[in-house]
Amino acid sequence: MNQAVQPTPAASTYVETRRHELRKSRLVMIDGSLAMNSRTAEGGISSRVYDRGYWGFASAPDSGQGTNLEQVGRKARENARTMARFGPRTAFGLPGGSYRGEHAFAGRPALSQKECVERLAELHAWCAKRYPALKSTLFMLQDEHHSKWLSTSQGSEVLNSIQRAVCYMTLTAEGPDGAPVEMLDRISGKGSLADLDLSIEALAPVLDRLHEQLQDKRHAVSARGGLHTVVMGPDLAGILAHEAMGHPCEADLVLGGAMTRDLVGQPVASELITMVDYAHSRDGEELMVPVYADDEGTPARDAVLIERGRLTDFMSSRETAARLGITPTGSARAYNPNDEPLVRMRNTAILPGSSKLDDMIAGVDDGYLLLKTSNGQADSTTEFMFGINLAYEIRNGKVGRAIRDTTVSGSAIKVLSSVDAVSDDMQWTCAGYCGKKQPMVVSMGGPAIRARAHLGGE
Amino acid sequence: MSTTLLHDAAERALALMRTHGFDGAQVTASLTTQDEVNISHNEPSLLRSTEVRRLALLGLVDGRKASTELSDFDADAVRQRIAGLFADASSAPQDAANAVSGGQRARIVQGPQQGDLGLLADKAAELLAFRARETPRMMLDEGAALHMRADSRTLTTADSDLSCCLGWYALSVFGTARDGAQSSSFNYTGGATNDLRERHAVEYFAIDEMLRDTERQIRTEPIGANFVGDVVLMPNAVANLVSWLLGQIGDVQLIAGSSLYRDRVGALIASPLLSLQSRFDAPGVAALSADAFATPPVEIVREGRLMVLAPSLYGSCKTGIPHVPTASSGWDLAAGTTPRDELLGGVTRGALVGRLSMGSPASNGDFSGVIKNSFAISDGRVGTALSEVMISGNVAQMLRDVAAVSRERLDTGAFRLPWLRIANLHFS
Repeated sequence: MNQAVQPTPAASTYVETRRHELRKSRLVMIDGSLAMNSRTAEGGISSRVYDRGYWGFASAPDSGQGTNLEQVGRKARENARTMARFGPRTAFGLPGGSYRGEHAFAGRPALSQKECVERLAELHAWCAKRYPALKSTLFMLQDEHHSKWLSTSQGSEVLNSIQRAVCYMTLTAEGPDGAPVEMLDRISGKGSLADLDLSIEALAPVLDRLHEQLQDKRHAVSARGGLHTVVMGPDLAGILAHEAMGHPCEADLVLGGAMTRDLVGQPVASELITMVDYAHSRDGEELMVPVYADDEGTPARDAVLIERGRLTDFMSSRETAARLGITPTGSARAYNPNDEPLVRMRNTAILPGSSKLDDMIAGVDDGYLLLKTSNGQADSTTEFMFGINLAYEIRNGKVGRAIRDTTVSGSAIKVLSSVDAVSDDMQWTCAGYCGKKQPMVVSMGGPAIRARAHLGGE
Repeated sequence: MSTTLLHDAAERALALMRTHGFDGAQVTASLTTQDEVNISHNEPSLLRSTEVRRLALLGLVDGRKASTELSDFDADAVRQRIAGLFADASSAPQDAANAVSGGQRARIVQGPQQGDLGLLADKAAELLAFRARETPRMMLDEGAALHMRADSRTLTTADSDLSCCLGWYALSVFGTARDGAQSSSFNYTGGATNDLRERHAVEYFAIDEMLRDTERQIRTEPIGANFVGDVVLMPNAVANLVSWLLGQIGDVQLIAGSSLYRDRVGALIASPLLSLQSRFDAPGVAALSADAFATPPVEIVREGRLMVLAPSLYGSCKTGIPHVPTASSGWDLAAGTTPRDELLGGVTRGALVGRLSMGSPASNGDFSGVIKNSFAISDGRVGTALSEVMISGNVAQMLRDVAAVSRERLDTGAFRLPWLRIANLHFS
């Protein structure tokens, strides 16, 4: 591994050194005007030291000369020792072993900015011609590529590469009252923008469907607030997994008092629900955010969070695993070169069942079909929410009128326990960021799910 | 890296861009250093020291634009990136709205330029001691006491020269209260200040109040019915309204034509009780815009009337709306005349709302969200903490429906905001 850096252990119990490059492209076109056309490259070197129960962390730009590495290592050690002013703290042996390996996605050669601009211009021109009544279009192309070379005093030597690309498409029309009505869709995948199919042929069906949904939404009615039977489309199951039980199963939140701490082995969901945070692969296929070893050099393993309705495991770092007395899952990840690793999800999914989506809808007398989400939030109580920007009424088993933007919420345990059907298909996405002190690229997936949940409305 | 070297880096990069043939260019060289004492699970855990340096370049070629950032200031790396930037800009579509700022001058030196590590540790210790003594059921999942120093120099080919040495302290706490098997929702507060010595740590940013309130939120009840009622929004929730309004008067919504306020300058868009103005000299805020303008004070809403829209230079050229440069944060919603406790008195049925957990409101203002860290209000009295309660409405309508504004405000640096009483929200 050419670019690995060597840790300098001194008298510390644990040292990790990370060299981290982060490259991003971002282009935004609003109504044919290129509002943003940006490429960035950031490189940094960091060191983190665990000494007598305290952590010290330091980072600096990567000079490529080795000088900063030495300074950063010294500063991290000094910082850990400075913390001793707070008095003795229990020092844990940090479990998790070590890992040696290099992992990078071999995608297509990257698109130039010129090619990206051409794709955007084609999309705008096609929409302007096909949907002349639109008020505006907004397209955003974004990719980011993290390369992390990690060495630890426990013997890990790792190159981890996370690369993902997203294309956001927003169409805006005018509602009957003159107010703007928007619909957003996105496609995402592993690799750079070159690995997404941004051709008109590929995106035309997506845009046609988005335009149809926009027209439905122009005449949307308010949801009836309260508890309802909802069929959540596959796009939503991933965020349900992530927000509802993913965050409460992060070991740092568990240590902080999340209700899940006392529920291991207990039923927390319907027996139809199995939920996994995959490290890197599923059924032999590499997932969108593959983590073979985390940013502490821990070999990553899958965390089966819920198995047939029972809570089974938490996602953890070395220290949180030591504190909880569990085996680390290799979930400690840092977003920026100057960030310390935190417990983060990787590829979180609810596994498919055996029902058909059409049958699940047909089985609802009075409820809602929820299809697209904006963002979500979890809570230590397991009460979760996420925004819904496309949903329809279901009456007597048939899909009816669109409803206005709303929010779905509930206690994750109550909602997941109410699940009575899980579809046999599955979709993955890696658009957006998870926010928890630092942003993070994660993927999420799942099938359609029928449950009882609380909708905001009148 | 010294300030002189930073300034030299900006000058060198601009000279290279001129030499390379850009018609216009904007260069910002910046260095940000931070020392941060972290608390994790009620214990001091980590001392973090970081240094981030960045060279941000924006270039115009024949009316075409591209931008880039790099952290490597080495001359060859910069030269190579400038060549790439030239290619990126040359391939962009021509747009007459592309331009760089001209003739801007600013020299900002603000806030504590040197951090005191001992002071940071003392403040972390004060937070921990207060928690243990006064709110023992509170778990501080995360907390931080930090000092940040952000130096930058921005130059343009049209003779703008803006420099900034900004220092500030910040405190933040995030946690949950727990009693046996019961747990509150998480809660948080924090902000930036220029002086961390003048008060006990918990007296900043209403940390003491947040910790005490959260302990009262361990036992919660649902609200039990659908009804239309009032809310008293605490400042953290008020920030959602202000942020939505600022988005409506900014570039994306104005260029896309999806702003509700595009043609409403001079009109009443909010309750006459509301006045929103800038505070670009707030702790942690530099009075500079991202597109290299000094940002003089600006009044956005005066007694409910929209005074200006706030497009960037590009947004202004694109839409024909007058350019109003704004800093990245620093907003002040004027205090009202009603004592905070009396805001509650006017509520027959509703909630005191600490936090709105919701997706981004739609362009037309429609929203619904779960109210967190909140209490029921009945006949003017605060009752039990709430769980699983949602409110829905329209943000634009909420701004119009503000019925009272508190005399007291919470100052977090980025925002100085009062408590607001607002009528006619749908509870479910």
